[in-house]
Amino acid sequence: MIHPVDTILSLALLSILFSFGSSRLPPLIKVLAFQGVVVCIVPLFIGHDMSTGSLVFTLATLAIRGIIIPGCIYLAIKRVAIEREVEPIVGYHASILAGLLLIVGATVASHHIDVPYSSVSALLLPTAISLLGAGMFLLMARRNAIAMVLGYIMMENGIYLVGTTFSVRARHIVEFGILLDVLAGVMIMAVILQNITRTFDDVDTARLRTLKE
Amino acid sequence: MLEIVFLIPFLTGTAAFFLPHAIGRPLLVLTGAVHLILSVIVWAGHLAPIFPAYFAVTPEGLLSLLVISLLFFLISIYTIAYLKASDIHSENIFTGSMLLFLSTMTMVTLSDHIMVMWIAIEATTLASAPLIYTHRSAASLEATWKYVLICSVGIAMALLGSVLVTVAMDVGKVDAPISFSAMTGVAERMDPMWLKAGFVFILVGYGTKMGLAPMHTWLPDAHSEAPSPASALLSGVLLNCAYLGIFKTNTIMHAAGLADFSGPILIVFGLVSIMAAATFILKQSEYKRMLAYSSIENMGIIAFGTGIGGLGAYGAIICLIHHSLIKSSLFLTAGNILLGFGSRLIDQTGNLVGRMPKTFVAFLGGFAGISGFPPFGIFIGELLIIMGAFRTGNHVSVGLFIFSLCAIFAGFANNAMKISFDTSDADIRIKETSSLVWPQYILLLTSLVLCFWMPDSLYQTIIHAVNAIGGGF
Repeated sequence: MIHPVDTILSLALLSILFSFGSSRLPPLIKVLAFQGVVVCIVPLFIGHDMSTGSLVFTLATLAIRGIIIPGCIYLAIKRVAIEREVEPIVGYHASILAGLLLIVGATVASHHIDVPYSSVSALLLPTAISLLGAGMFLLMARRNAIAMVLGYIMMENGIYLVGTTFSVRARHIVEFGILLDVLAGVMIMAVILQNITRTFDDVDTARLRTLKE
Repeated sequence: MLEIVFLIPFLTGTAAFFLPHAIGRPLLVLTGAVHLILSVIVWAGHLAPIFPAYFAVTPEGLLSLLVISLLFFLISIYTIAYLKASDIHSENIFTGSMLLFLSTMTMVTLSDHIMVMWIAIEATTLASAPLIYTHRSAASLEATWKYVLICSVGIAMALLGSVLVTVAMDVGKVDAPISFSAMTGVAERMDPMWLKAGFVFILVGYGTKMGLAPMHTWLPDAHSEAPSPASALLSGVLLNCAYLGIFKTNTIMHAAGLADFSGPILIVFGLVSIMAAATFILKQSEYKRMLAYSSIENMGIIAFGTGIGGLGAYGAIICLIHHSLIKSSLFLTAGNILLGFGSRLIDQTGNLVGRMPKTFVAFLGGFAGISGFPPFGIFIGELLIIMGAFRTGNHVSVGLFIFSLCAIFAGFANNAMKISFDTSDADIRIKETSSLVWPQYILLLTSLVLCFWMPDSLYQTIIHAVNAIGGGF
């Protein structure tokens, strides 16, 4: 039988491929928002006992990762840079191929790793590794500053997946602190993005290369 | 009520965002003074945490706390004079961020929970980002962007590492709180494979923030673009905070009997940092960037010493304390030079001895201290590290270590002589008031005094801290 978690996680894997193929920013942001929602509802299906507190916490996480964080980025770029392309260093088709290879690689690698709770879902570890790798890929393979921030958010989604599902030790208050840090970080990045578009009239990081040896 | 030490600067910092500079400036110094008093009370052992699951007083944390507090107080006095002499927009954001930065760094030194530590270190990045963007130029924007993005991505790695450490507990079927002190106690039963993976990610993550090569690329940009008081804080204490994260994880590794794994990795990262710094210092044309690379060098020395263990670990802590004192004084001095000559380029300066004699004394003293001249603490620290390395038989790496130190000294000395004695026809734009030079003098004097006379309680605290990572005589 296919576990419902696997169905949800396969959506997260698909979102990686979509994000690699997006050439424009609004769809990319939407994919990230979708991914945030998907990652956040995973704990609901994993079968730890759900108290009211954890339910409220999950919903709060969902609101922040799925709505507020993508919303921040969207508002930051709405005026100037919305029509921009993501300025790929690696082309879209090559990116999608790389994404597929990444998912396959993550699946192969996760067979060699012995984790607790691996009986819960076969896709959990591959998805987490893929999200981390995909975030890294977006950071390196796109010159657009906004796409880089989105790559960072994708990495954070991957780490969140590792954190909430593999280890249930951290109290909610601590997890909430982590989430607030990420949120504040994204907000500061959004402010910097606004300033970059105002100063350089562009979000291409090729312009940001004056400081070097 | 241990938490009050970081709550007070948090509250005053938040308030400072909304206050005019006539109130903001005294508030900065006042908070610094209160913080210093509170730190001394913590040192005396009179404050207990309300949330012992998250916060604790540890020897290594105490050392960092005291350094942070002393530095911030002196830097805040300098900042007032600096703000008067320079032209900074929205000063309330600057003072507010300085205080929040102090609050988050204090939180790092007091946190015992592995995730709270991460939250605090990430918060230091966020609080210090506005400081780097103070000048509102295109270059400072670029530096801020690099700083926030590289450090956030790096620290995300440390978050993954922290999660992996907790997985190591799950796999080893250990049931204990995930605070550093509790984990050190049960380290032997944790799964070694996951613990090793966690350590590597934490080292890469906090190493990014600490400025270890090859993850150091944000550091020279951020340090050169930030206003000098902020650079002094970044270099003097922020790097120590990141080191604290690595130090505490290394403690767990030692307790788990995995020192053979963590030591060589620290040695390699340390050596690469020192060599990278040597390469860039030799051909450096800006003095603030030169100081930034010197910080990378010193962080490399500290990582190297920590990896060596034994005498080296003791030397590393000595270097850590003296680097903070001397480097922050050097960055403040660089602020004077920048205010005086109006340029960051070494070629645009010169004849410091004639033009700004008081600044010259601080500059030469700082240069002698940071290059490891005998009376200063860096010399003692480096000597102990070299002796420790010979004792443990790391002959090749200690050879590279000494060679790189010589190269750095040559590059640094060349530039320092140019700044001090070259001819220059520039007009000096400021007057050397006492609060622009005395903070540097006091920092250098503190460093000098600590070489000849170290209070026994300080010595015991250092020994206590390094014992946990296999250090000591």
